[in-house]
Amino acid sequence: MAEGIGSGVILNLAKVSKSFGGLMAVNYVNLSVRKGELRALIGPNGAGKTTLLNLITGIHTATSGKVLFKGEDITRLSPDRISRKGISRTLQVTSLFPGLTVYDNVWAAVQSRKTFFNPFVRAERWADVREKTEAMLELTGLSGKAQTVCSELSYGDQRILEMGIALSTEPDLLLLDEPTAGLSTQESIGLVKRMRALLSGRTILLVEHDMGVVMELSDRITVLHYGEVLAEGSPSEIMESEEVRKVYLGT
Amino acid sequence: MTEILVWVLFAISFDLIFGYTGLLSFGQALFFGLGGYAVAIPILKLGAGTGTGLLLSVLIPALFAVIVGYFSVKLSGIHFVIITIIFALIGSTLGETWAWLTGGADGLVFTAPPIELGFFQLDPADIKSTYYLVLTVTALSYLFLSRLVRSPLGKVFVAIRENEERARLIGYDVQFHKLLSFVIAGGLSGLAGGLYTVALKYASATFLHWSISGHAVVYAIVGGGGTLIGPVLGAGLIMSLEHYLVNLLQATDLVVGAVLVSMLLFAPRGIIGILQGRRK
Amino acid sequence: MASNLAVAIVNGIVWGLIMALIALGLNLIFGLLHIINMAHGALYMLGAVAAWYFIELTGNYWLALAAAPILVGGIGLALERGLLRTIEDKPLVTIICTFGIMLALQQLVLMYFGGTARRIALPVAARFPLFDLQYPAMRVIIAAISVVVMGGLWLFLNKTRYGLWMRGVVQDREMAVALGIPVHKVYMWTFVLGSFLAAFSGVLAAPIVSVDFMMGREILIMAFIIVIVGGLGTLWGSVVTAVMISLIQGVGSIFVVPSTATVFSLGFMILVLLVRPQGLLRAPCSRTRERGPGSSWRSAASSRRWPRSPSSRTFSTRPS
Repeated sequence: MAEGIGSGVILNLAKVSKSFGGLMAVNYVNLSVRKGELRALIGPNGAGKTTLLNLITGIHTATSGKVLFKGEDITRLSPDRISRKGISRTLQVTSLFPGLTVYDNVWAAVQSRKTFFNPFVRAERWADVREKTEAMLELTGLSGKAQTVCSELSYGDQRILEMGIALSTEPDLLLLDEPTAGLSTQESIGLVKRMRALLSGRTILLVEHDMGVVMELSDRITVLHYGEVLAEGSPSEIMESEEVRKVYLGT
Repeated sequence: MTEILVWVLFAISFDLIFGYTGLLSFGQALFFGLGGYAVAIPILKLGAGTGTGLLLSVLIPALFAVIVGYFSVKLSGIHFVIITIIFALIGSTLGETWAWLTGGADGLVFTAPPIELGFFQLDPADIKSTYYLVLTVTALSYLFLSRLVRSPLGKVFVAIRENEERARLIGYDVQFHKLLSFVIAGGLSGLAGGLYTVALKYASATFLHWSISGHAVVYAIVGGGGTLIGPVLGAGLIMSLEHYLVNLLQATDLVVGAVLVSMLLFAPRGIIGILQGRRK
Repeated sequence: MASNLAVAIVNGIVWGLIMALIALGLNLIFGLLHIINMAHGALYMLGAVAAWYFIELTGNYWLALAAAPILVGGIGLALERGLLRTIEDKPLVTIICTFGIMLALQQLVLMYFGGTARRIALPVAARFPLFDLQYPAMRVIIAAISVVVMGGLWLFLNKTRYGLWMRGVVQDREMAVALGIPVHKVYMWTFVLGSFLAAFSGVLAAPIVSVDFMMGREILIMAFIIVIVGGLGTLWGSVVTAVMISLIQGVGSIFVVPSTATVFSLGFMILVLLVRPQGLLRAPCSRTRERGPGSSWRSAASSRRWPRSPSSRTFSTRPS
């Protein structure tokens, strides 16, 4: 499965392992994500999905193996450097700036792509940042709540806002860690609808428990089990795979 | 009055790092005390001018803030609080020991030479001139900080206060920005210390003691952290309270402590919070 | 020289054991309530001052040793119930709050007790020979009492129901709540116990040092150093470190200027903080992420509480 960069691969994990003490959380994982696809990463609890995302975004550093992004080795970079290379993510437990307004939340993210900070410029003078911020609020459907303090938003809105923040950094690859975690089935359906508009045309790696969401959104699925890649294929292939059924679906 | 203005400057510089960047530093006294010496020692031992001294009182503490901050911002929460206390303690211990340089706890007494400002002269020996000097510098620093916190950089500081992890994930170098905020705050704390010594004509190792930082903490909390006007109000209110209470009963710290604790319990956003609550 | 050294060592051990009691109180409060108690030194001072008053009244040191800590424990009870309870989930706020309490307590003592230092006569005047010097027996008695109290604390933590609860809360607060441990009660009594220990060591130290309203300020910092080096939350680490540091300072001050020794020990502590923030005597990587990214640190500056996300996963449409 060694794919070259030429074939549109944007993210390439080569034999990546991570151990905590004696526990192998991620074991010898190879994974390639193509530009423009929505790849789902599934697996039972403790399969190492979130750890894998942490390895890609630099929150943890791989014990061995390499993470290549657009052909560049990012294995040992810090999270902020990786973000600047073009990888953005949401977290399983919503991570926003709770005391700031929705507008300022998005602003902070949009502004991060500017490099020079003149301490005597008023932030509001930056027309381009303002335009992008307003565009993102439009896209997420949160324009009407722009001045709401974000800790007062509904939980579903917070999840959408977090995606909006992640997208505001204009990433080439977006990692979503269980976007529907903590939502009721009803709310999940609503969220997925809103996600579709938000996510179309982007390259995404999605970790998700809800199989309905995975089947609906993803182009390809990778199954992790005990830190190892168990299977990879299209949604229908995965559903039919005997092996996946046995370990993951628990039948 | 001059003294209140000095503490206002100290309080707003502390508020930049606590109220905006979210780091509770009990080590600001180190920079305050250093600022004092940065004025006193050059004037006394090298015959420097007051203007040079005040410039040094920004630069030298800022330089120390780079060193102290470099280590301190690696830690967060309680550990950050403690490491800043320890740095201040090292400062005050050394300050007391190196009496040949610092005068120890007795301090250095000096006369600040007049500042020539083109066609008129500012003489620190004159109480009124000192007042205007301190007023001008504090006002300028306030303007500087208010521009700073409204700038994109200020937004980064606030983002770090609100959620360090998220700030990092959207691409901000959190440690660098914390350090930056720490150094700016350190430089301004130093300036406050410098002005204080010019006003008192006296610099002492006791200014380096970590408990001096407590003043800034109290003013910022009572006035309302995360706003610049809050610490100004806090410093003004507490200082005038102290001023009247000294004559009434010898219980300034008791009242300060009680005000601090009750603000934390009943109005965690300080005087500003109360005022804003009213308006709503 | 040999007698100087011997006295320095014995003094170091005696002082170390008193410091250990102070540090234990501080560490207990931190381990359970996650509060850095800046007022701890003031409670120590209160203990000594209260003892002085008791001795003035009754002339009996031993009575003071029993009564003063109970009195200060009561003050601790009032502080916890009255003030700290409402803010105990915001660590930075509690630091500032206890700082305010420290200021107020010091000032109160200054008002009524006055600014002059007082001395308490040694209740046991006997001395015994140590090499060619006469060493006061009282210091050895103080050390012995400290050891007994520590033993009692150990028994309390390991053999009683409350002790079990306390250890449970330290291990896993949420689990403790789920198991029906009255966490708030445990917090309260821990704070009382911590205050008691601080005051008790204050009374123990009173005949050795002079009693004044500022006596707690430097002690507080020493106790911090001990707790951090020994490991926040690691009780036995505090005891070992307390004795070790006192010995090093005591013996060291024979050879170098005391302030040099202080600067070196402070520098050492910065190193410990940077390299092993969990303390020297605690296994690395255990519980270091207990207060993970969702902790309340970040909300300390803003007064708003972050709403808890529902964590149940019952809705998962996982086919089975």
